[in-house]
Amino acid sequence: MAERAAGCPKIRPEADLVPSENLKFVNRFTVRRADTCISCGTCQSLCPYGVHKRVEGHVRILPPDDRKCIGPSCSVNYFFCVANCPTNSLSVGTSDTFVSLGDPRWTSEMILATWQQAETGQPLSLDHPGNVGASGGGFDRLHFKVPKNVGRLSPDDICTAIDLNRRSSGEKVRIPIPIYGGGMSFGSVSVYTMLARAKSAKKWNTFTCTGEGGYPDALVPYKDNVITQIATGLFGVREETIQRAPIIEFKYAQGAKPGLGGHLLHDKNTPDVARMREAVAYTSLFSPFPFHSVYSVEDHKKHLDWAHSINPKALLAVKVSTPNDVEMVSVGSYYAGAHIVHLDGGYGGTGAAPEIAKKNIAMPIEYAIPKVHRFLVDEGIRDQVTLLASGGLRTALDVAKAIALGADGAVIGTADLVALGCVRCGNCESGRGCPRGIATTDPVLDKLTDADWGAERISNMYNAWRLQWCDLLSRFEMTDISQLRGRTDLLVHAERNTKEVGE
Amino acid sequence: MFERYHVPLRTVAGRAAPIPKFVITRADNCVNCGKCEKACIYGVHKRSEQDPRKMAEPINQLCKNCFRCIQDCPQRSLSMSPGSEYNNLGRGVWTSLRVLTMYGEAETGKIPVLGAGYRGLFAGPGYDGMWTDMSEIVRPTRDGIHGREYISTSVDIGRKPGYLRFTSEGKMMTSLQPIIELPIPIVLDVTRLKFMSMSVLEGYAKAAVVLGSLLVVRADTVLPESAKRDSGAVVIAHPEGTDVDSIRLPDETRMAELQYSEDWRKDARAFRTRFPKKILCFRLSASKGVERKVAELAGGGVDVAHILYDEDGLEQGNGARHSKDSLRAIHKSLVAKSVRDEMTIISGGGIAAAEHVPKTVICGADVVALERALMIALECRNHITCSDGSCPIDLKSASADWVEGRVENMVGAWRDQLLEVLGAMGLREVRRLRGEFGRAIFYEDVEREAFSEIEGGAGDG
Repeated sequence: MAERAAGCPKIRPEADLVPSENLKFVNRFTVRRADTCISCGTCQSLCPYGVHKRVEGHVRILPPDDRKCIGPSCSVNYFFCVANCPTNSLSVGTSDTFVSLGDPRWTSEMILATWQQAETGQPLSLDHPGNVGASGGGFDRLHFKVPKNVGRLSPDDICTAIDLNRRSSGEKVRIPIPIYGGGMSFGSVSVYTMLARAKSAKKWNTFTCTGEGGYPDALVPYKDNVITQIATGLFGVREETIQRAPIIEFKYAQGAKPGLGGHLLHDKNTPDVARMREAVAYTSLFSPFPFHSVYSVEDHKKHLDWAHSINPKALLAVKVSTPNDVEMVSVGSYYAGAHIVHLDGGYGGTGAAPEIAKKNIAMPIEYAIPKVHRFLVDEGIRDQVTLLASGGLRTALDVAKAIALGADGAVIGTADLVALGCVRCGNCESGRGCPRGIATTDPVLDKLTDADWGAERISNMYNAWRLQWCDLLSRFEMTDISQLRGRTDLLVHAERNTKEVGE
Repeated sequence: MFERYHVPLRTVAGRAAPIPKFVITRADNCVNCGKCEKACIYGVHKRSEQDPRKMAEPINQLCKNCFRCIQDCPQRSLSMSPGSEYNNLGRGVWTSLRVLTMYGEAETGKIPVLGAGYRGLFAGPGYDGMWTDMSEIVRPTRDGIHGREYISTSVDIGRKPGYLRFTSEGKMMTSLQPIIELPIPIVLDVTRLKFMSMSVLEGYAKAAVVLGSLLVVRADTVLPESAKRDSGAVVIAHPEGTDVDSIRLPDETRMAELQYSEDWRKDARAFRTRFPKKILCFRLSASKGVERKVAELAGGGVDVAHILYDEDGLEQGNGARHSKDSLRAIHKSLVAKSVRDEMTIISGGGIAAAEHVPKTVICGADVVALERALMIALECRNHITCSDGSCPIDLKSASADWVEGRVENMVGAWRDQLLEVLGAMGLREVRRLRGEFGRAIFYEDVEREAFSEIEGGAGDG
């Protein structure tokens, strides 16, 4: 077991370059070459980016490799191919493929930026367009008033660690970055995806979570970094899975489908998944809502006590969604004995959820965090409980904004998958599952994800995120990320960040 | 014997060509290597049947936007673009996504379930700026999904007495007014639809009977023979200026609609005299001050008010409110006069998605009227103009059976989604959802609560 003491854990996995040839398909711009081209090769000799290539001996010049093109803004350059083509055969425009990728919440810029971070481990600048989505509200309308000057503190001087147990008793658990991985069940994602997340969690000495589909044996070597989830379906929950876990998470509700149980549609319930869940293969599994043994805070306490008696060393996390009275739920959870209150907001990720639930039931996390934070402060228990936010936190800056609104840290799901090459096509729920081999249980498709490769990619992303938090904190002259908590005065609510870096 | 309400569902395939969300273009430099065929798990890419040396045109409607073929193409010949027909499908609250979702619901009757989280805008005008509540731990819950715990979607149309009065001998003195119990808070209203053919109307009428709902038609609409037999499910809406004495109603008819006018009291009196056992409904277009008119109707003994909004859910005239706000004002004015239970509110217009049903009910309506949604269920392309000759889907040739199946499927899917919302809120019946806006979450309110202390946030100057 790695370092779990107070102080700032100095865990800094090396960031290696982990490229993926598969993710190089997106071209931002399209370069078109008309039939009038005479293959003279002028464009090849001009373009410094290597878009155009003419092979000696070939009759015709090769089609342009527009992934390397910098777009119409190139027109200011003397080497702009379109202006210099003697037959006017070239044109440059926005790529349709780029437009087809992404959506208002996860824009194509954001997906590409996440891939880039997963590949290089290098952070985005604070004004990079990939930091913010285009959904027009919530985190996308909240911006930091970032001071102009680059801070003087180096990342080594800044602590991004948070405590998960803030009570006076019990194991002290400190993670070096204010995030851990959210629950994704075996069934919703492949075992390789789970392994990739567990391996990166081990590297960073943080956690990942089994989700509600049981605890695959492949994860046992990483048990010190794996949270076991007890969800309403109780799939694969056994004494030994509870006893080996450092943290036990009770999932009452999930942000993507508040008020509904987990969904695993029949196609994805393959024999392996069914065995783990002790269910009949190829039947749809809809977990109940709620726990039919919990209809009050008193029942909830009984629930936590039960887990505590099976594994007294484990921390107890309670994952709840964000109803109107989310502050009462949080306070109740704390008094029932929870160490971590994990709020999962309405716009969270999922492997399968009814579309009606995603947008319409329960409030987005941006509203729930300040509500709960203030209530816990007024109740005088804010510093005895760890408040984690999830559900639509896509980037390092989203996490920082959540902390500024009052959370201690965050739980990350979809971003992990995007680091693995998810394009957010949204077809995880049925058929053979994910065509990219991430959220699938298909025995052929799941081989597309290599666990070691994936672990490096996720680890790189965490590295990039940490460096970006350090950049932000350094500018605010903060040495510890906990100093950022509740600092709503550092935020501005606006369509666009008018107070950008350097302005 | 007690029977659970059940909407019969069957797959009713669309008649028109499917609309692809994304279009894959294959450039000329394709070398027909077939790697795309291997890459695609949805079967978009196939070899040409005529000439197996060549790749066929991509079957775009099967494409699910995973980019696998584009990524694997060694020639970089493939590119993806958003489908233009899909993008042009939507307008106003009838967005492309909603229209396509309704096509799917009408085809399968199933709740749309997809992977990945929410992908749309954060909030928006009207019902997009509203979230429904859910219950956990500290409040009772209800496991509504797949009927594991029973949730009633029944509502009543008609006047309900607040209490009963008895004589000292125990004989009831209160005279009970007629009531229609609907198993779903949905009626079908075709009065404002532009297109109508005999078979479409027959399909709607059959669907209304099967669903246990009502079909509202104009007085000048010629009903098909089958619908005349089922006239208990038909409600006739009479235009303004109709002489009540000239109205003929079949015995089975349970309710009639009159157009609201300044003379409504006279019309109401005449109707009551002629049809004491039938429910009287006034329909009125919502505009500024509609809450005052509805409160007057309630005070004047009218059973039902059918409020009409435009197809985006807005009132008419200057300063038009969305039905979200308008209905809340109506509900509050009736509550303030202690007559809320004496009047049923039907709200129509702008009901463009399953979530609009519970949201309309939360804002204060008892019953929701489906109008344009009924057309979209039939794959209507949502054009601004509509005429027999230019109908791109040739709706005239649709059979009544097909129409019936599509409508039942869509309403069935919407009811199931209503159950999910009710279950999440922990409610056992939709009657208790009415006017529960204290538990709903409204954009303006939460923005203020959460962000007022942030520079530029709501309430900050």
